[in-house]
Amino acid sequence: MQRKSLFVVLMAVVLFGGLVATAAADEYVPGEPIKAGFIYIGPVGDYGWSHAHDVARQILVDEFPWLTTVYVESVGTGDVVSTVDKLVRDNHCNVIFTTSFDFMDPTVAAAEKYPDVIFAHCSGFRRAPNLATYMADFYQVYYLNGLAAGALTKTNKVGYVGAVPIPEVKRHINGFTIGVREVNPQAVVDVRWINEWLNPAAAKEAAEALIAEGCDVFAFTEDSPTVVQVAAENGLASFAHYSPMHRFAPDYVVSGELVHWEEIYADFLQKVYNGVYTAHNLQNVDYWWLLSQGAVEMGAKAEVAINPAYSDKLKAVVIEHPTLGEINAYELIESRLNQMANPGITFDPFQGPVYNRNGNLEVPEGMWLSVDSLISLEWAAEGVVGPWPGEPE
Amino acid sequence: MGWESWLISTFARALAYGTPLLLGTLGEIYAERAGVLNLGIEGMMIMGAYSAFVVSYKTGHPWLGILVAAMVGGVFSLIHAFASITLKANQVVSGLALTMLGLGLAGVLGRSMVGTPLFTSLHRITVPGLSTIPIIGPGFFTHQNLLVYITMLLVLILWYILFHTRVGITIRAVGESPETADSLGVNVARVRYLCVVVGGIFAGVAGAYLSVGYRPAWTEGMTGGMGWIVIALTIFAFWNPIYGLLGSYFFASLYHLSYRLQAWISPELLKAMPYVFAIIILILVSRGTVQKRRGAPAALTIPYTRGEE
Repeated sequence: MQRKSLFVVLMAVVLFGGLVATAAADEYVPGEPIKAGFIYIGPVGDYGWSHAHDVARQILVDEFPWLTTVYVESVGTGDVVSTVDKLVRDNHCNVIFTTSFDFMDPTVAAAEKYPDVIFAHCSGFRRAPNLATYMADFYQVYYLNGLAAGALTKTNKVGYVGAVPIPEVKRHINGFTIGVREVNPQAVVDVRWINEWLNPAAAKEAAEALIAEGCDVFAFTEDSPTVVQVAAENGLASFAHYSPMHRFAPDYVVSGELVHWEEIYADFLQKVYNGVYTAHNLQNVDYWWLLSQGAVEMGAKAEVAINPAYSDKLKAVVIEHPTLGEINAYELIESRLNQMANPGITFDPFQGPVYNRNGNLEVPEGMWLSVDSLISLEWAAEGVVGPWPGEPE
Repeated sequence: MGWESWLISTFARALAYGTPLLLGTLGEIYAERAGVLNLGIEGMMIMGAYSAFVVSYKTGHPWLGILVAAMVGGVFSLIHAFASITLKANQVVSGLALTMLGLGLAGVLGRSMVGTPLFTSLHRITVPGLSTIPIIGPGFFTHQNLLVYITMLLVLILWYILFHTRVGITIRAVGESPETADSLGVNVARVRYLCVVVGGIFAGVAGAYLSVGYRPAWTEGMTGGMGWIVIALTIFAFWNPIYGLLGSYFFASLYHLSYRLQAWISPELLKAMPYVFAIIILILVSRGTVQKRRGAPAALTIPYTRGEE
């Protein structure tokens, strides 16, 4: 009996020792093959956020012969560290991407645990010597979509189905609303929240509620094409989100936002491969890529910024613009797109003066909002109606 | 925006969103009436949603998709039936396993279907004549698909079978006291198998409603927890199809209103409202006197073994 317990204790010591030994991963040597691990919050079949990251992952695998990848989907925030354990120990990943704002703190913890592994966290702001951050942001594209929405609404009520009220979504709604009001100062953007990233039934019911309220043009943040479909069923125009949803309603999708995560991933991984990025110099590496870097695109279909079915309708809306004079909505969108998409950006949607809906000045005349302010944005722009959880007093 | 618009949108959404809940609830009522709790609704629903979508997409016939979904749901439920009736395994565990299996399997199978629009979905119909009645017309008879009305009909049929036929008495006897039923020559296992399969068929059709009618597309995890609401609604309905209809439509109305009322009441609070309400009802129906009259089938979740005391 005693001998048996001794044996068990010895076994435990040996096993535990083994675990501790493998916890220290080997540091990546530039030029060696890279094994990259991706941790997704949703299923890759959501046709939204996680799907877009996975599309990028597959493009990378085709592009770089020295790259192999592995991904884990539908990971809860509480399981991030243990998923990293698995990716490092069993899959021997050198680089790990965690692709949700919610993963921020666990990613920091994992980066501390594995100081020799290179981490990059999407949409957050906490970095470390071996942890970079990256984001392909849509606020400019939402603004451009808003210009079209403002021109197309007849009821002066634009509906917006919001996912979770975090700064990212609020920033997008504000950008969108600023666009709507630039073309149509009478219009409002009515927001409904579903408090989930992916729930087609909730998105459908929220959109139906907005239709009942009289909204006639729709934009949204939810990881499925539901809102586009609901709008089309009712003969109403909408803007796609995240994936090429044009084909779900070819006659009713005006435009939308498309992402190209592969641009950021390729740049990052190439620099790791070349030895530019190591597990010791990422403290200040932050990708905040927009239209001009090609990380995002306006449209619901690759390389079609505006659905031709809506060109004439947009050209028919002529406004007296405070700085650009008499201009139609189509030209206005084109001109703003050029101002933001070409290097040497000459316009930003959050160009002062911008007021919040309580009448307070948020961005003074002639100023642009800083990246830090954009990332932590909580206020609602003038023209937003409906609930706004966490609105500053 | 007048009060009429509130009534109309509430009625219309009650039917549209309530129907998949009702379909699932009808099936679960039969399974539970025979004494088998099936927590695998979500898994069977998503399998139904996926198979209906694929079949409709490939063949262009949504009704064929619904038929296949019914079969898939029924066959899939056999896993639970086998585990819980033949093997006498824990019903909670086996049902949960079915949910996880369904969500995972449909997700993997459905990869290639993601982002594919379905243009051969169920038609939305407007009932001639009835749709011209003020409020009732646009509320109940405009832009709904046929499955909504078929489901209402099924409620009556299932209610009649359960409470007014020999078959119904047999099912209820098996759920209340399998020993007695057995001693009267009823094949308890067979009745239970059949009822679980009926539950699976209905859950499959509920999923099909989602993917070819309600929102014609395939998205992984698209059932979004409806299977769990069904479990609650079954209790809420006192295991009676008629109350199942009322409960499902009522829940769906609250769900719709929770979005319309967001302009005045906090979204988080409203999101909880239908669930809070369900809990309140559960507390009320669990009180002694009511429970005695309308309680759960006495042998629910208890495997039956002949001659065991």
